[in-house]
Amino acid sequence: MTRSPPPPRIEIPRPPAAMRRNQTLIVLAAIASVLVLIVVFLTMDLPTWQRIWTGLERSIPPLLRGFSRPAFELFPLAFNSMLETFFMAVLGTLLGGVLAFLLSFLAAGNLLGGTSRAMPGKALLVAIRTFPEIVLAIIFVAALGPGPTAGIMAMGIHSIGFLGKIFSDVIEGIDPGPLEAVRATGGDAVHVFLYGVVPQVLPEFASTLLYRFEINLRAATILGLVGAGGIGGPLLQRLSFRRWDEISMMLIVIIAFIVVVDAVSSRIRRSLV
Amino acid sequence: MPDQADRGPASRGPAGGPTTGGPGGIAIPRPPAAQRIRAALSFVLVAGLALIAYRQVDFNLEALFTGTADFVGFLGRLAPDWSYLPAIWPPLIETLQIAYIGTFFGTVLAIPLIFLASANTASNGVSMWIARFLLTILRSIPDLLWAAILVPILVVGPLPGAIALTLFSIGILAKLGSETVESIDPGPMEALRAAGAGRIATIVYAVVPQVAATMVSYILYIFEINVRASVIIGYVGAGGIGFLLQVRLNFFDYSAVGLIIVAIFAVVLIIDGVSVWARSRLI
Repeated sequence: MTRSPPPPRIEIPRPPAAMRRNQTLIVLAAIASVLVLIVVFLTMDLPTWQRIWTGLERSIPPLLRGFSRPAFELFPLAFNSMLETFFMAVLGTLLGGVLAFLLSFLAAGNLLGGTSRAMPGKALLVAIRTFPEIVLAIIFVAALGPGPTAGIMAMGIHSIGFLGKIFSDVIEGIDPGPLEAVRATGGDAVHVFLYGVVPQVLPEFASTLLYRFEINLRAATILGLVGAGGIGGPLLQRLSFRRWDEISMMLIVIIAFIVVVDAVSSRIRRSLV
Repeated sequence: MPDQADRGPASRGPAGGPTTGGPGGIAIPRPPAAQRIRAALSFVLVAGLALIAYRQVDFNLEALFTGTADFVGFLGRLAPDWSYLPAIWPPLIETLQIAYIGTFFGTVLAIPLIFLASANTASNGVSMWIARFLLTILRSIPDLLWAAILVPILVVGPLPGAIALTLFSIGILAKLGSETVESIDPGPMEALRAAGAGRIATIVYAVVPQVAATMVSYILYIFEINVRASVIIGYVGAGGIGFLLQVRLNFFDYSAVGLIIVAIFAVVLIIDGVSVWARSRLI
């Protein structure tokens, strides 16, 4: 018996049906989003090209001149205001961390004995998170007067939303073994908490806190734009006078600070978890 | 605290639970020395940093208590004036338009950068590091600051706001996207390369199908971020409801301010809700 060779015909298989459906969906979504964009552009009150062009002609040359020659004599002031911004972020993050730590146990279903009991805590955290921190800062500046205190409070309160959510997720994910072990050896609720819960959640909490600190440092640079302390205030002054040489110096300090802090913080975070 | 660890449960003796083991002589072992030293050091470091920060910043700690009272009192004056509602619709819609434009162009411009900045799809090391450097700069400057920088360059209005959000969106989306691209299964890419496919074909047929769902979810997430940002960029003159907020605040028209804040809260909550729902259906 000789077997006849198979016909030398290679067929490229069609992608599976589910994948084809997804591709169609993506194409449809892309078309829809372009249509929405056209509607947005037609209904929006945008300036004419003529106005944009004259604006650019006026503003670009001084901008390039300023950015090519940053005002290095401004470095001490820029650095000091950035340091203040950094300290604001430290205090705001710690304030948020302490408050979130307390709140997170009210949003952790496994410690309260049932997911339904954690609902009010979770809802509160969502409400806090929804409130943009700049709006909080505006309210605090109006209520307490301008200065870093308003900014720190705004950051602290807004951070509760994010930190509390992650903290309570971490608590809900802990291994119940150590808790039972402490209970079995006769530990009361405080012992269970100190020796069963805390050691399990501490590295994750520290890492989350550091991550939030990175976010808050960025936020703290803009809080000054509404009068809530930090480098944003002096920067906004210079922006309204278009002092591009000084603006570029401040931007260099801001970017350098943020890049260095990010690098250090992500290094520590990697060693933690 | 470690002392209590030694005495705590042990001193409770037979009273606490069944005593099948040793009678009251149980000592909770202390954690290893290296771990304790590290914990103590980090604690001292954080406490020291907090102390320095506290002394440097002139943070009014009392404000935490008196301030909260002031704050609550102040909130009372923010009782919304609902008759002001018709006036806030146009800027509120403009806010959403700015967020949409920022998300759209941010996405379109981020896509090529994603593939340039990911180690497994980059064409060469130099372009990869240039792309990454660019993304770092874009991300280091917060959205409101981008808006504040662009307003004096362009005309006051929604245009600088839309561009500010575009730039910031590129930074975040490309970062999230390249992390996703770098974590894909390399199998399909190798298969396509082995079959002789070029770079573009490899990306389209091996990478895109693997990351598409996650990317759509990220785009929705960026839209959430942009809505939050767009409500406030008007404060520095970049269009949207933030401009109205600033004007009313300067006139001490707190009942209008209250209404604007309620509107911002409602818009952010609705967009977040819809987006979170859509994202949960995607993955």
